[in-house]
Amino acid sequence: MKRLYLLTGLALLGLGAFFAYTQGQKPLDPFEEAMRQRQMYLETFRVLPGELYVEEGKELFFRKGPSEKTLEACDFGKGPGVLEGVYAQLPKYFPDSKRVEDLESRVYTCMQTVQGYKPQEIKRDEVRAITAYIASFSSKAKIQVVPKHPAELAMYNLGRELWYTRAGPRDMSCAVCHEQHAGQRVRLSPVRSPKQGLGNEWPAYRFEEDRLYTFEDRINFCYESIGIPKPEFYSEPHIALATYILAEATKAGHSFEELPFFTR
Amino acid sequence: MKRKGILVVGLLLLGLGLSQVGPFRARLEAAVRDGGTEFARVMLAQDKAQALCTQYRDKLPADLIPTFLAEQKALIKYPASGKLMGDWKNGEKVFTDPKRGNCYACHQGVAEEVAYGTMGPSLLHYGDRGQSEAVVRYTYEKIYNAWAFVPCSLMYRGGVHGLFTPEETADLVAFLLDPESPINRR
Repeated sequence: MKRLYLLTGLALLGLGAFFAYTQGQKPLDPFEEAMRQRQMYLETFRVLPGELYVEEGKELFFRKGPSEKTLEACDFGKGPGVLEGVYAQLPKYFPDSKRVEDLESRVYTCMQTVQGYKPQEIKRDEVRAITAYIASFSSKAKIQVVPKHPAELAMYNLGRELWYTRAGPRDMSCAVCHEQHAGQRVRLSPVRSPKQGLGNEWPAYRFEEDRLYTFEDRINFCYESIGIPKPEFYSEPHIALATYILAEATKAGHSFEELPFFTR
Repeated sequence: MKRKGILVVGLLLLGLGLSQVGPFRARLEAAVRDGGTEFARVMLAQDKAQALCTQYRDKLPADLIPTFLAEQKALIKYPASGKLMGDWKNGEKVFTDPKRGNCYACHQGVAEEVAYGTMGPSLLHYGDRGQSEAVVRYTYEKIYNAWAFVPCSLMYRGGVHGLFTPEETADLVAFLLDPESPINRR
């Protein structure tokens, strides 16, 4: 029965997309298209894909690791067990790891230091789902990334330098599109600057890819599309760029979307 | 005497400081390496032009521009045949291919393609400029190395980086200028 629903849903989606595509010469507005797809998901399945990831993340959050501890024992910035609004303040400096960490790297750290997993035992998909679960507690929250600690300021400055670094076979940088040409489109995708709220929609379910993207996934997607091999997950380029982008979005007074968001 | 000593030590320290890679640069390179060897290999292999554009945030000081343009111009290679206008049909393939031209990312092309970006000017009816030697040459050189005209522009140096060959560049020119090309159809 569930399968039948799924097939009907997929057929509907295909039909909708085809109809939209043949609607004539006006380019599709990707935001409207995403909202329509979201509505179709709700009507067909009565649940959004992002919610399924959140459910999975919740189960993993309360799963005991080799140390017999769950992630309740991890401090995500407001003390162990507190999840409300923590995502909106990350990346920040954590004295226990002596590193600036975003939510994804913090999950990765705690699964090792608190739960006792070995790095090679930690599946990326699990970190994604846990990230979606914790981020859902910052749905629509005001972004509050304000570098104060020297390590946070250092990350911000590194992130700003990476932002402007032109490299690779397409001579690209983040800034040349996401700052100089913000408000324009690449193909049909609108390109935003941090001042316009760039970064406020992740983690999100991307219906074109049919999977969940965290902010690190999205940054990797950008690097790959400009011919630069993606940086490793949880590495400093990720933390630095997230710090810079979200600190700039903070200055402009932006809030997160409904998290996990639903986007193209 | 004491003052002189301080001066000498100060000058020595200054010289030492200037001769070193700055601490920020060193920290940046360490951060990039933390991203993995593949990421670092590309990010730390900036050429001189990319490094200048990064340093000046894409706004070069006026006194650096003439040398910059001349150096970029010198990087342009031409087809052995000398023909700067090739086959528009192959040009369209290179234009569309995300791994080669990827031009629709930023430019409007043929009227039927609605999924085009808006960061670059529309190229629909580009052929209205005619096919004079000057127009053909400018179009060829601009496509091959955009930085020979606008330093640090968003438009990348596709020919310089080998995303397309000189012959394919000539095909792209034909796609834009040939009256038979769908980009010029009315």
